[in-house]
Amino acid sequence: MPSPRDTVFVWNRRIHYYLGLYFLFFTWLFAFTGLLLNHPRWEFAQFWPNRVQTVADHAIQPLAAGSDVERARALMLQLGISGEIQWPAQSPPPGSLAFQVTRPGLVLDVKANLDERRASVQRTQLNGWGVLHVLHTFTGVPAADPRHARDWIMTTIWALSMDAVAVGLAVMVLSSYIMWYRLRTKRIGGLAALVLGYLACGMFLWVLR
Amino acid sequence: MRRLYLVTRDLHLYAGLFVSPFILVFAVSVVYLVHGMARRPAPGASDPSRIVGDVIVPREVLQLQGRARVDALRPLLDQLDVTGEIDFVRHAAKEHRLIVPVRLPARDTIVTFDYEQHTAQIVSRAHGIGEASVYLHKMPGPHNADVRGNSSLVRLWHLAADATAYAVLFITLSGIYLWVVLRAERRAGLFLIAAGAATFWGLVYALAA
Repeated sequence: MPSPRDTVFVWNRRIHYYLGLYFLFFTWLFAFTGLLLNHPRWEFAQFWPNRVQTVADHAIQPLAAGSDVERARALMLQLGISGEIQWPAQSPPPGSLAFQVTRPGLVLDVKANLDERRASVQRTQLNGWGVLHVLHTFTGVPAADPRHARDWIMTTIWALSMDAVAVGLAVMVLSSYIMWYRLRTKRIGGLAALVLGYLACGMFLWVLR
Repeated sequence: MRRLYLVTRDLHLYAGLFVSPFILVFAVSVVYLVHGMARRPAPGASDPSRIVGDVIVPREVLQLQGRARVDALRPLLDQLDVTGEIDFVRHAAKEHRLIVPVRLPARDTIVTFDYEQHTAQIVSRAHGIGEASVYLHKMPGPHNADVRGNSSLVRLWHLAADATAYAVLFITLSGIYLWVVLRAERRAGLFLIAAGAATFWGLVYALAA
């Protein structure tokens, strides 16, 4: 019969395995795209020069009165598009509605003339590298603009999965400390690696103020 | 085979312990980034400032652009004891001013050179650990690639961030190897890999398809 202490250690190890295996693909994505973002000149991963742009004009039905977000959603429903709404820095002239709809690999610039009941949609399609880039940064919370709230359910789910990966990695780090401490023969070498790591990281965070 | 296992296990342990504080910095900053919690306001009128006289800005600096201008400004900043990564420099020609933001993870400084009056106003604002970790998370990043890495801090951090990403990739691969060799938790592990893959690819499909 294992003691409660042993049970804790067994579960600590299991949690380390389980989290690592469950978040494997997420971890690979964020580690690999982190490298891509830090090396924007890597030729093989270029996506913006290879984008495909098309423009289409649509007839639209009148929009009911409401907030900008409500009218944008109603228009998106008519146009059959979905994604995270981004607002331009400047408000469009009266009688028109302009916004951007984004999702990983796709940017849609929507400009609607509500008086003439027409909307043009410029579609910018990115390649697979573009999709990877955007997945790393797709939080739906850009600059300090109160209109920029997260408004697409998939963005919220993706943001929550980013949180989950972050918490999962933190738990894995903490569980690894317990696993290491139980290896008596590795304590000194492990302590040296840990102290060196904290000194190196602390230098960036605290010393260089 | 036994030797490969032992070497892999030790490398997994020591590399993991060394890189663990960096992983924690990235994990904690994810939560700040995803929820827009680290706005990092620029230094303003209420922040401590000082004015230094007899600061001569060479005229040729005004004609330069990009990395050349940043490199030319560095000796002037050294003279003022201002250290850090020079961000986007703004030239207000009508006001005879050169506005130079200089960033450290936990401090932002704005140096405003008045090249007619030969003065420099230095305004500085300290930031907390959250803002510092977010700053490091985003550095060097894909933007302003020509200018980025003009300080030894960001050049060093670039190496550290890359090393963290490569180490994470190594730790995941070696972790899979150790899990396979140990034959522990085989069924649960396979189930979790499959569940993680289904979650990941399902989300990516829903976001990007």
